[in-house]
Amino acid sequence: MHELSLTRNIVAIVADHAKTRLVRRVRLAVGPLACVEPRALQFCFELAAAGTVLDGARLEIVDGDGDALLIKDYELEEAA
Amino acid sequence: MCGTCGCGDGDSVTMTDPATGAETILREARARSDHNHGHVHTHADGTTHAHDHNDDHAHAHSHSHDHGHDHGHGHDHSNHDRGDHHSHSPTQAHGADDGLVALQTAVLAKNDAVAAQNRGWFRGRGVLALNLVSSPGAGKTSLLERTIRDFGGEIDIAVIEGDQMTTNDADRIRAAGARAIQINTGSGCHLEADMVASALDALALRAGSLLLIENVGNLVCPAMFDLGERMKVAVISVTEGEDKPLKYPHMFRAASVVVVNKIDLAPHVDFDQAAFLANIKAVNPSAQIIMTSARTGEGMENWRAFLKQEMVKQAQT
Repeated sequence: MHELSLTRNIVAIVADHAKTRLVRRVRLAVGPLACVEPRALQFCFELAAAGTVLDGARLEIVDGDGDALLIKDYELEEAA
Repeated sequence: MCGTCGCGDGDSVTMTDPATGAETILREARARSDHNHGHVHTHADGTTHAHDHNDDHAHAHSHSHDHGHDHGHGHDHSNHDRGDHHSHSPTQAHGADDGLVALQTAVLAKNDAVAAQNRGWFRGRGVLALNLVSSPGAGKTSLLERTIRDFGGEIDIAVIEGDQMTTNDADRIRAAGARAIQINTGSGCHLEADMVASALDALALRAGSLLLIENVGNLVCPAMFDLGERMKVAVISVTEGEDKPLKYPHMFRAASVVVVNKIDLAPHVDFDQAAFLANIKAVNPSAQIIMTSARTGEGMENWRAFLKQEMVKQAQT
């Protein structure tokens, strides 16, 4: 239920950091106690990313420790 | 940070003071026409970006989006102004040569930072803040009403009420004799730290008072959002079944105290107290358990004693 809110946070944080550069992929660490459903995050990500520099980007979810919910890094689209 | 969890548009987060009826909008509804982030992405040919925010950069990217969704989204950019405050060209890297940019940023970092400010605010004034969480209908508001009436002005109590809609609960708290602020989260399913911070400005709490934050009735989402409270108190009623702690372990793990309410109904609903206590212990061995009936008053003295003891501890920190 809160995954859309979290996903929009993820998009806002990365978009804020990337400024105008286009983002191809975001890597997110989710711990087993994070209280987050990865599939729901994936589902919301495309919606939340639409119209931002993350439009069309892929959300890659990797295992994290404990209750971690951490944006590890993101990858930029190669410059045209 | 965006707190609207539902997909519906048109819901804003508001704060209402039932004493004055004054309503403040804390967060604008999404998809409003008056926020100025109107991209005119024409992704069919992959070139046309008519951003109407101030950056006059030219996106010359050429990826071909063939999905024809319309960009009527409206996320709130008030927290991160996307003006033209960076002067390098879009292709210039921010210190990343391979296109990979390390962030290592917690998704809830912003909420946690505001929560930390709230916590410092409470500590500095010796205010005990508790975050009450439960499913809808467990009896949080009844418990608070009874608490306020039973203390009878012995201690200063203020309440922040979180609900999606209506000021019913804040009105009830006010009628019971305490100051209350209602926060309506619209489609949102939990309170966030910045909403509490806004309510603190409006409440004008006295030093050494007790602040009871009644979260939106929901055993899932409020578990992850720190509001700056000293601890979370989970309220559960005997009508909900003994296995609730096992079904919602995150919340019962996040709570330091579990109040078991409506114990006057236990004989009528075949409540297995031993099984219930065992289930709480299974997910949270250190949880303190207090049995109450806000209706009959049974066990309320233990709850009040707990509150007073925690207020003393808070004053000493």
